[in-house]
Amino acid sequence: MSGVSIIWQGCKLNGSHDKPSPWGLRGESFRFYSNQTNHNNPPKTIHHKKGAPPAHSVPGANITMTNRERALNILHYKPYDRMPAVHFGYWPELLYEWAEQGKIPLALAQSWGDGNAADEELDRLIGWDFNWYRTAGAHTGLLPGFEHKVLEVLPDGTRRVQNGDGLIEKIRPGVTSIPSEDDYLLKDRAAFEELYKPKMQFSPARINYEYFKNFNETRRYDVPVGLHLGSVLGSIRSMVSVVGMSYLIYDEDEELFADIVDTFAEMQYQCAEEILATGAKFDFAHYWEDICYNSGPLLSPEIFNELCAKHYKKRNDLCHKYGIDIISLDCDGVTEKLLPTWYENGINTMFPIEIGTWGDQFEAARNKFGTGMRGVGGMDKTVLRRDKAAVDRELVRLRRLSALGGFIPCPDHRLMPGTKFELVQYYAEEIKKIK
Amino acid sequence: MNTELLNEISEKLQRGKAKDVSALVNQALEEGIAPDVILNDALVVGMNIVGEKFRSNEVFVPEVLVAARAMNAGLKILNPVLADAGVEPIGTAVICTVKGDMHDIGKNLVRMMIEGQGIKCVDLGVDAAPEAVVAAVKENNAQLVCLSALLTTTMGGQRDVIEALCEAGIRDTVRVMVGGAPVTKEWADDIGADCYTLDAASAAKEAKRLILEMKKG
Repeated sequence: MSGVSIIWQGCKLNGSHDKPSPWGLRGESFRFYSNQTNHNNPPKTIHHKKGAPPAHSVPGANITMTNRERALNILHYKPYDRMPAVHFGYWPELLYEWAEQGKIPLALAQSWGDGNAADEELDRLIGWDFNWYRTAGAHTGLLPGFEHKVLEVLPDGTRRVQNGDGLIEKIRPGVTSIPSEDDYLLKDRAAFEELYKPKMQFSPARINYEYFKNFNETRRYDVPVGLHLGSVLGSIRSMVSVVGMSYLIYDEDEELFADIVDTFAEMQYQCAEEILATGAKFDFAHYWEDICYNSGPLLSPEIFNELCAKHYKKRNDLCHKYGIDIISLDCDGVTEKLLPTWYENGINTMFPIEIGTWGDQFEAARNKFGTGMRGVGGMDKTVLRRDKAAVDRELVRLRRLSALGGFIPCPDHRLMPGTKFELVQYYAEEIKKIK
Repeated sequence: MNTELLNEISEKLQRGKAKDVSALVNQALEEGIAPDVILNDALVVGMNIVGEKFRSNEVFVPEVLVAARAMNAGLKILNPVLADAGVEPIGTAVICTVKGDMHDIGKNLVRMMIEGQGIKCVDLGVDAAPEAVVAAVKENNAQLVCLSALLTTTMGGQRDVIEALCEAGIRDTVRVMVGGAPVTKEWADDIGADCYTLDAASAAKEAKRLILEMKKG
């Protein structure tokens, strides 16, 4: 039996991962920057002799690098002092579980978000170096969004709610899983032209120019910070559900779906262009897609390529023009069949390389694409619910993958309920021993 | 019999042309083709081909969904005629996503594929309690229970349903099939399920086999 996976797992629970929040700030916040002036000094750069072999570490070297240097050096096959302990956040339920167990203060569970102060405090308590999801960007969703409204309350208390994307969801009281998709507004050409197209246009209101003008002075330099490029297809899928996307692809109006994708992508390109033109400097760029599940892509790779390749290329070429050479893409599930489109059009870092029930995907991608393909992720987070021996076995595997270069282990998604606090601490400690 | 017409229905179904399938099913009935022949030699054949192509990665979720939509368009016309003719489905399955889990796309895909085998599906939707499954099995004399879970945190709900079937004393009257992204053969064995499949097309094939086995006794 097939289950459309992880596409949503953890992400929509706190709404912080799958779609940009207003201003598209993930991890980074104005308050966060203004309170962290100690991070403003650019790091000392470690110089290496030109032509030195691409060592994966600096054996015996008495050098301390910042986490930003570690991460970027690894992804550029340059020497590094040790592996950074990188994570990808938590299911909120886990944090409440840990708070109940007395492992963390309740306030951290209540206020956690990617890269915020609570996240950093958790990093300190656990021993993590940083959360990979630290990006800033534009508001690349519908603007304005649709009104959130309850359309109906069913006898069992289930609410039918129209969300900001125009998707109608069923939310059942007491169920912490994501809502089920019930209906959607974007069904035909008329709905696109009248309801959606105006909301998919570029507008200066999508960008906080003031923030990006001061970005280089206020951003942190001890951790990598990325430009969020939005999503070519994932956000559209969120607007219409998998079923709706399927029907739109095969609509009698054969141009409709391509028009939707093109309109939405063009706006996102303009957002990236505007942000980069402010002079803001980023360490990497990043997409969110989540367009695969446990059996592969949610649509044919050929159709995906036809619809999306040109948009990735255009956006990634722009990034290259501004010196951004690490471009990662967040897609859960079995991504193998879409990797060629991504890789050939400039995406060179897989994230979070979910293990699921299908196993590692990074090594196969490396074998296929060579060292041009990097990865952040690929750590089977489920071992953190088991025991130390399971973590040790996973560490053996991760050491081997790390030795390939261009790979930073990171739990393959949000840590889920049942994860043992002490095992996470142990993993964070041990992963730093990879040199 | 107009085999050309039946082939055309099958072909339109595979291409997801719901309106064409409706029109052609009507035409077939008008030409006097028996409804069970239209069902089995056109609609089911078409869905089987889609299922096989899905399994071998020749087609993907959208193609299955539009084909299933076309199949439903045909069934809408055919079902009352089949009922009038006394044609019974080959069996009945109760299907749901287990308690605590609201994901339904994988479950819906499986349901569509199973229906494509000529099996009646009683769909309990998402977040289905074990007692609701037990009640549905009893009420519909189902031979098969299909349980979907998408999350590692909810897959335990599959075990809960099997335990509820045991407690109700009807475990031996049904076969239980489990699936979903975190589910494995090992998990299925561990909780005492009868069958695990990786994808919807395989699930439909196994569903038919299990039901026919049950009927043989």
